[in-house]
Amino acid sequence: MSLESRMAKKTTHLKNDFQESTDLALFVRTSNEDMDGWNRQKIVAALVRETYLDVETAERISKEVEDVIMSSKIGVLTSPLIRELVDAKLIEYGLEKARKMHTRLGMPLYDVDQLILRPNRENANVPHGPEATNLTLAESIKKEYALLSVFSQEVGDAHMRGDIHLHDLGFCDRPYCSGQSLEYVKKFGLHLPNAASVAQPAKHAEVLLAHMVKFSATLQGHFAGAIGWDAVNLFFAPYLRGLSDREIHQLAQMMIFEFSQQAVARGGQAIFSDINLYWEIPKHFADVPAIGPGGKYTGLTYADYTEEAQKFVWSLFEVYLDGDASGRPFFFPKPLVHITEKFFQTPRHQEFLDFICKVASEKGNTYFVFDRGDTAKISQCCRLSFKLEASDLADASQPWKMRYTALQNVTVNLPRIGYLAKGDDTTLFSKLTDVMELAARAHLHKRVFIEKLLALGELGPLSILSMKHDGSSYLRLNKASYLMGMVGLNELVQIHCGEELHQSNKALKLGLRIISHMKIVSEKLSKKHHLKFVLEQTPAESTAYRFAKLDLRYHSPASGAVVKGDLSKGEVYYTNSTLLNVGAPINPIERVKTEGLFHPLITAGSISHIWLGEAKPPAESLANFVTKTFHQTQNDQVAFSPEFTSCNDCNKTSRGLKDNCSYCGSDNVDGITRITGYFTKTSIWNKGKKGELTDRHRNAELFTQKMNKVRNLKEVI
Amino acid sequence: MLVLKAFWQKNCPRCPQMKTVTEELKQDGYVVEYYDLSTVDGLAEGAYHSVMSAPTLLLVDEDDQELAEWRGVVPSPDEVKREWAMM
Repeated sequence: MSLESRMAKKTTHLKNDFQESTDLALFVRTSNEDMDGWNRQKIVAALVRETYLDVETAERISKEVEDVIMSSKIGVLTSPLIRELVDAKLIEYGLEKARKMHTRLGMPLYDVDQLILRPNRENANVPHGPEATNLTLAESIKKEYALLSVFSQEVGDAHMRGDIHLHDLGFCDRPYCSGQSLEYVKKFGLHLPNAASVAQPAKHAEVLLAHMVKFSATLQGHFAGAIGWDAVNLFFAPYLRGLSDREIHQLAQMMIFEFSQQAVARGGQAIFSDINLYWEIPKHFADVPAIGPGGKYTGLTYADYTEEAQKFVWSLFEVYLDGDASGRPFFFPKPLVHITEKFFQTPRHQEFLDFICKVASEKGNTYFVFDRGDTAKISQCCRLSFKLEASDLADASQPWKMRYTALQNVTVNLPRIGYLAKGDDTTLFSKLTDVMELAARAHLHKRVFIEKLLALGELGPLSILSMKHDGSSYLRLNKASYLMGMVGLNELVQIHCGEELHQSNKALKLGLRIISHMKIVSEKLSKKHHLKFVLEQTPAESTAYRFAKLDLRYHSPASGAVVKGDLSKGEVYYTNSTLLNVGAPINPIERVKTEGLFHPLITAGSISHIWLGEAKPPAESLANFVTKTFHQTQNDQVAFSPEFTSCNDCNKTSRGLKDNCSYCGSDNVDGITRITGYFTKTSIWNKGKKGELTDRHRNAELFTQKMNKVRNLKEVI
Repeated sequence: MLVLKAFWQKNCPRCPQMKTVTEELKQDGYVVEYYDLSTVDGLAEGAYHSVMSAPTLLLVDEDDQELAEWRGVVPSPDEVKREWAMM
């Protein structure tokens, strides 16, 4: 039946003139928190304004809705209910597009009730509280908005089905992660659009720290992911000249406590912060004129501040080693130490390496980032990093320009492709290409949307990112990268050839072919769309769980055989990115070596995790491990993760995950370990991550005191 | 069985020189496999052997273990033959 005939049929039931104004003795609870008298013309106006329907059709629909309301004898009329009734009429008329445009975004009362009462476990960094509830409510609406308005239906449906995952949809109006330069704050002070006051460049180290923390908090409101800071100890160094060791230590303590305790970011969480640290002076900064107090050049280069930079980084690790007042590891800021060729040529490097390895063993904080050859990079997040190209290194002479962002992350559900390919190579690679092209389209949609917001300049929602203190926008969109992530390579290989990555060379080589294919396709798509698409190991804190759940729904029974975790408890997950099975008893050296084979293919960052459990290996053993990993593998980054039990009654922290406190026996304890790329309490992990935690193979036996670590490491590598 | 794996790519100045050497070895009966690093299979095989530059020539056994390697350099045919003979 055509629209016209449907409407004609409807018209026969209408007795009133369309122009007639009917006064109902009804009041409407409006969205503006007031009671308004019934006015049918408001429906007409909304339909014409929001859906571009013609007035006559809008009149017809409004009249029919009015009839329904009149005959229903409804007691409480709300504007959402009216909108639902109107939407139902639009469906009756076959006006699907208009219905979509007229949709109301929101949540059922029951869901809001649950949200307020129960914690949201999508992100273990968000504590449960009123701010967290606000965040979840806002995110749910923005997610719906993104899927309806930012992305095409094709992309939105692919996300909903679980072919891909569009990360941080609830933050659709911000870029993803970012890398900052402290030089920007040192040179321009804290001069932010819409801010109530403006601060000149800092004259003292404490003020610089305050600027850094406040700017981080502001930026956290404008990026979905981490706020990374480059070469923090180096850029602080000109402010530290003349300070005593005690004063430098105090500043280090302030920095770590400020970042770890500022529960002011989205949802009342701590600022997701990363600090890049160097023992040596990086080659690209050595001859750069140093900026000091007041934002003025000091007349020296950064190489002249080696001593201060080294004192500061040492102090930072002293603080990490102590932990907080309960002896717990600090969750933020995450310290990323760059290990370079120059590192090994710098005096006292072994002493420093032993020290940060002691911290890694005791508290787990240290991330070892390997920059081999001429590689230089800024780490922004758990594993995300921006490799500096020639033009970026040229910017190093004006380091405040070195601001980078990944605009969005789209992750591919690799096992899904395995189920569809049914063992056929051609289908597998063809479907992989298809889904990457889809991911590229998702990136294009996001780019268009962010450009629209940025075009509003300092009056728009991203005004901070539009400020131009150095002549160009703070967000350098021309330098942005667009992340293509992956989850479950291990399971895809298992589905396709019957073995997991660690089980045979055949399986490993298939895995390498798949990631090589992704790399080549991403490069071709970059040329086609003139955007920098790069592969990244997705952290996938919740994505690995989500994909596994969806595949159990859509691809059973095949998925039941490969999904990891405990199906009976619903604690299911896919192996993260290109990692080997977390439960496989593989010695850590073999793990970093084999996982490292994938890392050169994954431009935007990779990591290998070594789960320590209760083990506390000697520092020199880890230092040896790190040195050999740098020289004899291609691994990009390594982190060692111990486990802790922190008692809320006696405030003491012990090693290992236990049900009761080792000191006082209380069961009021928190388990703490690394979830993906950061430490947090295990009680707030999602079910998938809980399943992974149970399965993790702890490497206690390799690092036991009895073994001659150095000899064994030599034998294995 | 021993195999020579030769990794090359377009616009690599020394790759033709490596090809001259490997073709000569091929004519003498040595088994040579070529891998173009700009293709999926070549890139994957290169990643497996941690090949970071072209040209690279590897001598591997039947388990894919590397017995000799020339990374970023081009050996003479005699040098390769000597290594092969020692295995």
